[in-house]
Amino acid sequence: MAVFTLEIVTPDRLIYEGEAERLIVRGMTGDLCILAHHIDYATALDPGEASVVTASGERRAACTGGMLSVHDNHVRLMATTFEWEDEIDLNRAQRAKEAAEEQLKTMTADDKNYALVEAKLKRALARIRAKE
Amino acid sequence: MAGSSMKSIKLRIKSVESTMQITRAMQLVATSKLRRSKERMEMSRPYVGVSRKAIYAAVRACTDPNVPFVAARPLRKRCYIVIAGERGLAGGYNANVFKAVAADAGETPYMVLPIGRKAIEKYQRMGVELVNTEYGHVETLRISKCFTLVRQLLEAYYEERFDELVMVYTSFVSMMSQEVRVEKLLPVVPDDDVQAESRNVQTVYDPSPEETLVKAMPDYLAGRLYAAGCDAFASEVAARRNAMDSATKNAGEMIDDLRLKFNRARQGAITQEITEIVAGSEN
Repeated sequence: MAVFTLEIVTPDRLIYEGEAERLIVRGMTGDLCILAHHIDYATALDPGEASVVTASGERRAACTGGMLSVHDNHVRLMATTFEWEDEIDLNRAQRAKEAAEEQLKTMTADDKNYALVEAKLKRALARIRAKE
Repeated sequence: MAGSSMKSIKLRIKSVESTMQITRAMQLVATSKLRRSKERMEMSRPYVGVSRKAIYAAVRACTDPNVPFVAARPLRKRCYIVIAGERGLAGGYNANVFKAVAADAGETPYMVLPIGRKAIEKYQRMGVELVNTEYGHVETLRISKCFTLVRQLLEAYYEERFDELVMVYTSFVSMMSQEVRVEKLLPVVPDDDVQAESRNVQTVYDPSPEETLVKAMPDYLAGRLYAAGCDAFASEVAARRNAMDSATKNAGEMIDDLRLKFNRARQGAITQEITEIVAGSEN
C-alpha cells in the first residue's frame, strides 16, 4: 500500500517518525482519515481516538488536541498529548471522567470554567474509548 | 611574628578549603542534573520546529486581518516572559537574561511573567507589573502548568492589557556556550526562511485558517513555553557547572599558593629559631 511520512510530536517527546499507510484523528469538523498523497491540508484537533496503520499493523491511541498538517505527502501531527493504547491508565481516565461529570452537574453553560471542565471530560472519554 | 602569620595563613587555607568543598559539591550536583535536563531539552525540540512551521504556514494563509494573533496592534505595552534560574552561582546566567530584557524593552512600558525564583525577586524589587508569581521552580515546570499560564496570558491579550508577547530565555548551544534568546510570540510574524520553502499549492484549511489558528494557538504557545523552560534549565545547569568548575579550580590554585607561603613562613621561623639558639650558645 502507498505510504506517507508521518511525524507525531508532543511538547515533551517525539512519539513517532516514519512511514504510515493511514492515520485517523478527530479534526475540528469530525473524524478524518489521511491516506497517502492527500492534498495539502491543515486543521486543529479535538480530543478523540486516533489510529495509525503501518506495515506492521494498526495501533490505536488517544490524542487530545493539537494540530494536524499535511504538506507534500508529509503528515505532521502536533498533539497536546498522544498516548498509545498500552500507555493509557484506564483507572485514572475513569476517575477523571467521573470527577468532570460531577463538576458539570453543578455548573451552568455560561460558567467561566465550563469549557475547561468539558475539555477534561472529552479527554477522559477519548482515553477510555481508545482503550476499549 | 612568624608564628602569628603562620596561624593566619593556616586559617585562610581552611576557609578556602571549605569554600572549595561547597563549589565542588555544587559542580557535582550540576553535572548529575545535566544529563537528564539535556535529554529533556532534546526531546522538547522536535515539537517546536514542527509546530512553528505549521503555525507560520497558517498565519500566511490567513486572509482575515482581524484574527487577534496575526493583526499587529499599536504598541502600548509589552509582556515579557522571563525565564531565569532558581538560584545564583551560575556565572552571568541570570544577569544576562535581565540585561537582554532591559535592552529589548527600551522605553516601551512592559509587564512581566517571571519564571524562576531569581526572575520573580528581580521584578518584584523593580516594581514591574507581574502576571503571576507562582512559578519559581523552572526544573519542575510541567506542560500542564504551561497550559494554565498560556490561558492566563491569552486572556490578558484578548483584554488588550498588553499588545505584544515576547519570551526571553537562555538557549543551550553547547556545554561551553549558552545564548540568550529574545523571541516574539504574539502577534505571530512568520520568518522569511520558512516562507522560502513553502510551495505554491494551496493548502486546504478545515474549516478555515482563522479558526484553525485560534484553536491551535494555545497548544502551540504552551509547547513553546515548555520547550523554552527545558532549554533554559539545561542552560542554567551547564552555566552553573562551568562557573563552579572554574571556582573549584581557582580555589585549588589559591590553596597551593597559600601552602607555599605557609611553608616559607614555617621555614623562616625555624631558621630564626636556630639562629637564636646558635647565637645564645656562643655567648
